[in-house]
Amino acid sequence: MLGQYLPLLALGALAAVFAAGSFLASGLLAPRRPTRPKLEPYECGIVPARDTPERFPVRFFLVAMIFIVFDIEIILFYPYAVARGGLGLFGLVAVMIFTFAVFESFVYLVGAGALEWGPPRRASARPGAVSAERTSASTVRRVGLEGRRYGAPEDESARMAPSAGGPAPGEAA
Amino acid sequence: MILAADPLLSGPVGLPEVLIVLLKVGAAFAFLLVSVMLMIWFERKLLGGMHQRMGPTIAGPWGVLQTLADGIKLFFKEDLIPDRSDRLVFKLAPYLSLVPAFLVFVIVPLGGDFAGGSGVVRWWGRDTYLQVADPPVGVLLFLAMSSVAVYGVMLAGWSSGSKYPLLGSVRASAQMVSYEAALGLAVAAVVLMAGSLSTHDMVLAQAGPGYFGIIPSWNIVLTGFVPFVVFAVAGTAELNRPPFDLVEAEQELVGGFHTEYSSIRFALFYLAEFMNTITMSAVIVTLFLGGPSGPVLIGAIDWAWGVIWFSVKLFAFLFGFVWMRATLPRFRYDQLMDLGWKLLIPLSLGWFLFLAALETGRDRGWNLAVVTVVTVAGFVLAGFLLAGALASARRGGDRFGPGGGGDDGDDGDDGDDGEPRDRVLEEAG
Amino acid sequence: MEAAVFIAAAAVILVGAVGVVGSRNPVHSALFLIQTLLGAAVLFVLQDAHFLAAVQVVVYAGAIVILFLFVIMLLGVDRAMRLDIEPIAGQRPLAVIVGVALAAVLLTVTVVATGELTGVRRAAGERALDNGLSDVERLGRVLFSQYALAVQATAVLLTIAVVGAVVLTRRHGGHSGPSGEET
Repeated sequence: MLGQYLPLLALGALAAVFAAGSFLASGLLAPRRPTRPKLEPYECGIVPARDTPERFPVRFFLVAMIFIVFDIEIILFYPYAVARGGLGLFGLVAVMIFTFAVFESFVYLVGAGALEWGPPRRASARPGAVSAERTSASTVRRVGLEGRRYGAPEDESARMAPSAGGPAPGEAA
Repeated sequence: MILAADPLLSGPVGLPEVLIVLLKVGAAFAFLLVSVMLMIWFERKLLGGMHQRMGPTIAGPWGVLQTLADGIKLFFKEDLIPDRSDRLVFKLAPYLSLVPAFLVFVIVPLGGDFAGGSGVVRWWGRDTYLQVADPPVGVLLFLAMSSVAVYGVMLAGWSSGSKYPLLGSVRASAQMVSYEAALGLAVAAVVLMAGSLSTHDMVLAQAGPGYFGIIPSWNIVLTGFVPFVVFAVAGTAELNRPPFDLVEAEQELVGGFHTEYSSIRFALFYLAEFMNTITMSAVIVTLFLGGPSGPVLIGAIDWAWGVIWFSVKLFAFLFGFVWMRATLPRFRYDQLMDLGWKLLIPLSLGWFLFLAALETGRDRGWNLAVVTVVTVAGFVLAGFLLAGALASARRGGDRFGPGGGGDDGDDGDDGDDGEPRDRVLEEAG
Repeated sequence: MEAAVFIAAAAVILVGAVGVVGSRNPVHSALFLIQTLLGAAVLFVLQDAHFLAAVQVVVYAGAIVILFLFVIMLLGVDRAMRLDIEPIAGQRPLAVIVGVALAAVLLTVTVVATGELTGVRRAAGERALDNGLSDVERLGRVLFSQYALAVQATAVLLTIAVVGAVVLTRRHGGHSGPSGEET
């Protein structure tokens, strides 16, 4: 039976050699003039301001965990699918009970909201959340106003700022 | 029952066997590379046509050699490895994408006369199949390789040390992993009909005379269309092709997991992507459309007709993939996850049981109408359960922290997402 | 032929296992773990357990190590790690002792039971029991008849695993601040 895997090995080796050969050829043919900006992370041309995120939403881990469970359950269907002819009614009932268990855990997952990826339907009032006072006007950072005394009409608020104890016009930008 | 295996390699393996294997492997390798080249050209040309453009026109007749020209150009481009990357993993990732893409093709039967014979051809005094290998794991090799292929995407994004590739690869791996479950269940339905894991046996089982002289006895009919649809949708998502190409949603993620790759390293990812499209189409044809089975119309070389039928069916699917890309807008991430988990998985799970009950009933002489009615009742019950669970999930609000692809933010259309869920409800019931 | 494949696979496994323990970067460790698992799949094939080999790749390499990598990559474990701190006092000497003891036990068992655990081919009579069925089919026949109860127990176990995963990742009560929202 081992011989049946021989073509697999041969094609895999051929593919790997092809990839390695391509890298080798590219190494010989391609120019090599690295500069500082080329080796920076790609940010569509601007200087990277924030680091790569280190933490991701827990949903991704949840999906990976749930997938393990479902993968094991699905793989157990295969022996049944192949051997169905010799198993008869008993096998059918067995696989039905098994599927029921799978489905029941699935319903629990759906019910617990573990598979909800959409934006929350109802804003949760948890401490630390962004307050309602925060508007788009209060967080928009004005660019290019440095040194300008008289800008667009909205600039009025920026000039009013010092009297309210805010930052100076130049710094508000 | 006979153990399914390529008769060529069942006995002792000598020099002639090794030579035939090498011939087949070389032919498959060449076929894949050439067909990828043509596929990329075909996709660009067809997309061009659908957009009222010309597509490639310069290199070769009708621009056929455009892909070759692009490939050669990429050899002469500077190969950058970003400073903040993990160099070892960065170099390893293209291999992990490319090698599985080649290996899946091994199990696809490419030709042979299945209507008259058993798909065996005799070359130089030795019986063999017109497929590279028929290992005992059969179609599980496809599932195994698609789970290994996740690593290529995942590691490429992580090792780049840059935020967009990382976000793209996290999205991609969660997406591929989610749809693998639906894919596995759809394949299980086919295995149930064939009673074997071997792709050769599956094609052989589908090569029957058919019904009324018109409807072929392909698995797409025998399994009642549902596994086929599930497989086609899940397969498209597994390929990260439109409308499931959130992995490289340009507006949000630049180029997705291979943003930092350049030169030939990028080319290999691109190659693997299109090769996967071709092999996925080939696997759909094998599992659901009878593979190379079809009538021998004229001529004496009966195995060649298998190759022709196979190519025609393959081409139909490749055309469909391009057509979908030109037509359908991209899914949103929560829609993607909803479709995969809440619709495809329960649907294919229920359908698998239905098929198992039907087959067992047929063996034991039950009234199949009763089986169907009981199944429909079960589906309705399960639908109500799911609907209740969904309602409970909606009431509960946000219990797992923010969803979506990391901190890449929402695209602002929070208001109109009642529609996909309602659709899920209707169709699950 | 079989001996050659075994030696090659064993070498792959051993290199992988040493790599898992020896790598300083946890992502590299996980990659070596995949190598070890793939090598073990080859050993399963060598024993004519083709289905098991496929399961090894699909479930272990395709799902479990993916979760490991998710955790390593997405929690930034790879950057903030001090190797000179022992979380449990006396951990390292203890590990050496346990490792040596385990190796001793394994060696003793192999020496005492030479031939019965390794290297003996199944007798011809035993092979005849296969009825010429493939390994998947034989597995299916016993799993869903003789061992049906065990299969159902597995299903229950997996259900518990699902519940556990949800409970562990769920946000508690709503008293987690903004810092805790992505844990």
